[in-house]
Amino acid sequence: MPPPPALIGTSLLAWRNLSHDRARFIVTLIGVGFAVLLMGVELGLLVGFARTTSGLVDHSRAALWITPAGTTNVDIAGRMDERRRFQALAVPGVASVGKLMLQFGFWKKPDGGNESVALVGFEIESEALQPWNLVEGRIADLQQQDAVIIDRLYADKLGVKAIGDTIEINSQRARVVGFTRGLRTFTQSPYVWMTHRNALAYSRYQPEQTTYLLVGLEPGADVEVVRHALTERLGRVDVWKRADFARQAQKYWLITTGAGSALLLSALLGLVVGIVIVGQTLYATTVDRLPEYATLRAMGAPASYLNRVILKQAAISAAFGFSLGTLAAYAIVAISAYGNVAVIVPWWLLVVLAALTVLMCAFGALISIRRLVRIDPSSVFA
Amino acid sequence: MNEPLLRIEDVGVTYGKGATALSALRDISLDVRSGEVTLLLGPSGSGKTTLLQVMGCLLRPSQGRVSLRGQALHALDAEALSALRLAHVGFVFQHYNLFPTLRAWENVAVALDLKQFPPRQQQAAALQLLERLDMGNRANHFPAELSGGQKQRVAIARALAGKPGLILADEPTAALDGKSGQDVVATLQALAHRENCAVVIVSHDPRVEPYADRVLHLEDGRLVDDRRRHGNQA
Repeated sequence: MPPPPALIGTSLLAWRNLSHDRARFIVTLIGVGFAVLLMGVELGLLVGFARTTSGLVDHSRAALWITPAGTTNVDIAGRMDERRRFQALAVPGVASVGKLMLQFGFWKKPDGGNESVALVGFEIESEALQPWNLVEGRIADLQQQDAVIIDRLYADKLGVKAIGDTIEINSQRARVVGFTRGLRTFTQSPYVWMTHRNALAYSRYQPEQTTYLLVGLEPGADVEVVRHALTERLGRVDVWKRADFARQAQKYWLITTGAGSALLLSALLGLVVGIVIVGQTLYATTVDRLPEYATLRAMGAPASYLNRVILKQAAISAAFGFSLGTLAAYAIVAISAYGNVAVIVPWWLLVVLAALTVLMCAFGALISIRRLVRIDPSSVFA
Repeated sequence: MNEPLLRIEDVGVTYGKGATALSALRDISLDVRSGEVTLLLGPSGSGKTTLLQVMGCLLRPSQGRVSLRGQALHALDAEALSALRLAHVGFVFQHYNLFPTLRAWENVAVALDLKQFPPRQQQAAALQLLERLDMGNRANHFPAELSGGQKQRVAIARALAGKPGLILADEPTAALDGKSGQDVVATLQALAHRENCAVVIVSHDPRVEPYADRVLHLEDGRLVDDRRRHGNQA
């Protein structure tokens, strides 16, 4: 493996120390790459889960969400009286209030068998929330009495192949009129989109009931002032700013249930595995080359010169291992796009991963640096 | 007579303490001057290597004073001693101590890098040094691809990087055949005489003595003989 022509001094020594023993170098890169992959996938799962838990909230255009009192997440909530909509509309700064119903139901597949689903009833005329990433059909088709839209990811699970397939929801006939792509649900009960009116028919809600009210503001209205006014006016409900409700939903599913902690723990495990692999490999390389380090010291190399060699070895391992690991992680990200569980690695997570990789390799280098501190240059004459 | 490059006054080195203390050097006083080849002789255990370590600023003596280019060593910490070695001392080792993963020119370039040669000039300077030692045509070879004599020439080129005033050679001919050994010693002598270096050689090899200007004899840690040779082999 010839080095790039510009390599000289500590960079050259670091590169050759690593690349001279190709088998060990490859093992190091696989080790670092695996650690990066582990951290990337676990953290990517965490991001994917977080986005899934708050997907409905994040994709709404409402500035404020009015929820039944004590609501902890968007998927599980009580119900409220529709009259509150009119009370909300009377609050200064409120421009629109859309209804959203969310209720679990039973989906009977065409060939038998039941699945739990989440019925999402929304108002087509309201822009507060509509299904996104629609890949087949039209939202307007939902105005038919038994029309529903589901996500392609869950089509097999729900026994649906194409538009026009009929099934039963809570023992009532329903017909698929469209598909979205990539609208996942953390509860694993797929979202079934329909009009609010149809949702009332499929559920046991009273006609004047709904789950959420989604509030749009007039231009220039202060969201905090309106939120406060709505809380005062409506009573016995919670009024959330959209981002706050999204965070609450994420917190509930990822922290309260322990799912997030498990993923973070796995990511931490990846970090530890990486530190051990890099530390062990660098230390073995360092011990193998102690006479050379002693020679450098005898020649007058300051301790910092030797440390630079080790740190550059760590940096090279980090750079190659990171590239390998992120390539593998992105392959998993691409595959996960077709699965029920999303692994999402946004650019900022890539930066976090890079920082963790550098940290991992720097920690791995420490043990070697500690060994070199004790090196005796006079040992060259031993 | 020029000023001594290295001055050693009443130096003693003792390893250990109390009943187990072992004196490796006792009451050594000598000057090493530029332009001379000094040969250090003595049986095994006589203290030759210890004296070489003291001369090379690798070991602080238990007693006495050592000064290199007028700089007293006793007050210097490890990093300051490193800096002094870097500036003034070049080493040639019995087993060459080349970096096996680096080519011949890269081995020399590392020494230049340590001395903060501009990176762009390191390769040219390293090749120039190898040319001086007739190793220009082997510059791109790794140590494993060189003979013992060639390795020692690369090691000498590396020791010369940055023009140190003092070259310390530990048994430089021990691993070489007769012709290669003579060539290496002749090279060291030429360096001392033509470039006004001080060269100190520790050796058991009788082939070295004809090239020395001065012969020191150590026994049991004491300097028992110090004689100058005239009409040495040039």
